[in-house]
Amino acid sequence: MTAADNPLRPPALATADALLEDAPCGFVVFADDGTVRHANATLLSMLGRAREAVVGRHFDSVLTVGSRIFYQTHLFPLLRLHGRADEIFLALRAADGEEVGALLNAVRRERDGVWATECVLMHVRERPKFEDALLRAKKEAEGARAEAEKRRDELLAANELLRAQAIRLELSTEQLSRQAEELEMQAEELQVLNDTLTEHAEELERQRKVAEEATRAKGDFLAAMSHELRTPLNAIGGYVQLLEMGIHGPLAPAQLEALEKVTRSQRHLLRLINEVLNLARIEARGVEYELRPVRLKDVVAAVLPMIEPQAAARRLSLTVDVPASLCAMADPPKAEQVLLNLLSNAVKFTPPGGHLRVVGSEDPGSHDRVQLIVEDTGLGIPADRLAQVFEPFVQVDVSPAGRSEGSGLGLAISRDLARGMGGNLTATSTPGIGSRFCLELPVARNA
Amino acid sequence: MSDAAGAGDVRARNNVKVTGRGTQPMLFAHGFGCDQHMWRFVAPAFEPDYRVVTFDYVGASDSNRGAYDAERYATLDGYAQDVLDVCAALDLHDVVFVAHSVSGMVGVLAANREPARFAQLVMLGPSARYVNDTASGYVGGFEQEELRGLLDMMERNYIGWANFLAPVVMKNGERPELGTELEASFCSTDPVIARQFAEATFFADNRADVHSVSVPSLIVQSADDAIAPQSVGEYLRDAMPHSTYRLLDVTGHCPHMSHPEQTIAAIRDYLGAARPSGADD
Repeated sequence: MTAADNPLRPPALATADALLEDAPCGFVVFADDGTVRHANATLLSMLGRAREAVVGRHFDSVLTVGSRIFYQTHLFPLLRLHGRADEIFLALRAADGEEVGALLNAVRRERDGVWATECVLMHVRERPKFEDALLRAKKEAEGARAEAEKRRDELLAANELLRAQAIRLELSTEQLSRQAEELEMQAEELQVLNDTLTEHAEELERQRKVAEEATRAKGDFLAAMSHELRTPLNAIGGYVQLLEMGIHGPLAPAQLEALEKVTRSQRHLLRLINEVLNLARIEARGVEYELRPVRLKDVVAAVLPMIEPQAAARRLSLTVDVPASLCAMADPPKAEQVLLNLLSNAVKFTPPGGHLRVVGSEDPGSHDRVQLIVEDTGLGIPADRLAQVFEPFVQVDVSPAGRSEGSGLGLAISRDLARGMGGNLTATSTPGIGSRFCLELPVARNA
Repeated sequence: MSDAAGAGDVRARNNVKVTGRGTQPMLFAHGFGCDQHMWRFVAPAFEPDYRVVTFDYVGASDSNRGAYDAERYATLDGYAQDVLDVCAALDLHDVVFVAHSVSGMVGVLAANREPARFAQLVMLGPSARYVNDTASGYVGGFEQEELRGLLDMMERNYIGWANFLAPVVMKNGERPELGTELEASFCSTDPVIARQFAEATFFADNRADVHSVSVPSLIVQSADDAIAPQSVGEYLRDAMPHSTYRLLDVTGHCPHMSHPEQTIAAIRDYLGAARPSGADD
């Protein structure tokens, strides 16, 4: 189209429009009623349409239905009231039916005494893909978070239920024992009540089984739930990593920092869940032990490299006194896990400059057992709290700084593992002097 | 909303603006995608004769977005409640309700609930249902799938270029003809709210509601409207009792912005003899 065949446009505008003919972006001019007055060659080739299929027709006709509505409800009011629109995404419809994504910048102004809108349309190919991926990742992360919250609520509710059941059972147990006492007294006088007494005893046994069953069910449930919690958490971690790698575009330092905080929280949560999962597995009797003769010295040697850097960092000295002749029947990785846990605790609770000691010996009380002892010069544990350290989720508060990080499951798991191998884990302690944890294991005569 | 505090809350919540020298209230309700600024070419023409009230729905521009409740605004009933709340807060009666687009059906719902409040409904480009219904032979203009495309694109515009309005304010100085009262919040909506409003609007079916409207109404239909084709205007003309149908020979979904004079004339013609007695001329 030239100025000559369009009397409405003086040569100056026509020249300017002509300059844009082969610009690297689409250019279109349409009147307030939407009629296209001018379109450059770049736009026509983006759309695969002939000039006469665009010029003279409504701008609507090159838009997808969704874009048409967006134009009428958002873009037109924006242009009419503000006179311009910046960076609006529109989906154009090419002649072959393909959608062409375009970023629109538009200005509405008077051209030759008539109001018209001039638009520059950048063809965007890759950007919508990244945005779609970003939107999808955002939605999935939100979904995963909601799922995790739902699971957590379910777990809490189940826990509440189990606690209520436990209280009920405890109450009925008390009741039954009271009745049993009464019956015993009466039995001396009334032999005929013996039968009733037996019945009650059986009932008591049944209640005990119910209670055991409930505990096992709780373990199963915890194991299943913990596993379910890990899946969305791993998804969160994965997507955060993708974002950090810049897969979805470069990130500002503040965004990276926020993502790092998400990662830290996600890892912390994952570690807690892993510990819950471990305990639940053990309680659910889901752990299998492969017992074989193993030298205690080898168990210690496997663990020391992991603990020495931490001990050195806290300026703790460490001595080992384990005769090479001592052998236990044990599952080596599990024995190592227990020892590692004991040593980690010792490092954690012993003030800098203290001393740790690992001692192996035959059990002085039994020829069938050997011992592996971890002693520290730490803060120690008050006698009345000593039994509690083996309870799940309990951390005896001995450090002045308050609770240490962790779930409080380490010792509970360790003792379960020791007992699973036919041994035991016990503790003695003197506050201010130190603690002594003793891992007992069945002896093996020939390693 | 009878107590004073409640009334004040609604005024702030819906960013209510009152102008005009008349007594009879004329309540202007904006459509999807915009806010009360869209009335600025039409509403001033009625200020000499009416008490002109404009407002934003909760979620739009300068409304109190903290008052947004996803459950309440999941359907157009929540928006109708906004209209009734504004009427109650300002103690409006004998209201001429002027509605653009989706607000037409919001007005229908409000008028069905409290018919005594309203004198007339004036609806620009209304539609009782946007999705075609082949079973009943109803032509709304769109297929469900096409409307999904709108939602996708809105999402991209709101999230990808959330600040697409930001440069406008700065550049106003260069364009004095646009006026100076423009605000940064114009037509801005939270993306979640915008999406829900779009769903409430475009997936609504108010065909059952329009039959029972007892308030007289004017349907203003553009000859060429990509959103409300003539068939939906004609459907409303036939379905609504006491309705008057006016076809404007214009293009576009926003005649009050593209052709304000014709729109004002059509509304004046309709209100005609019913002009309030307290008017000056």
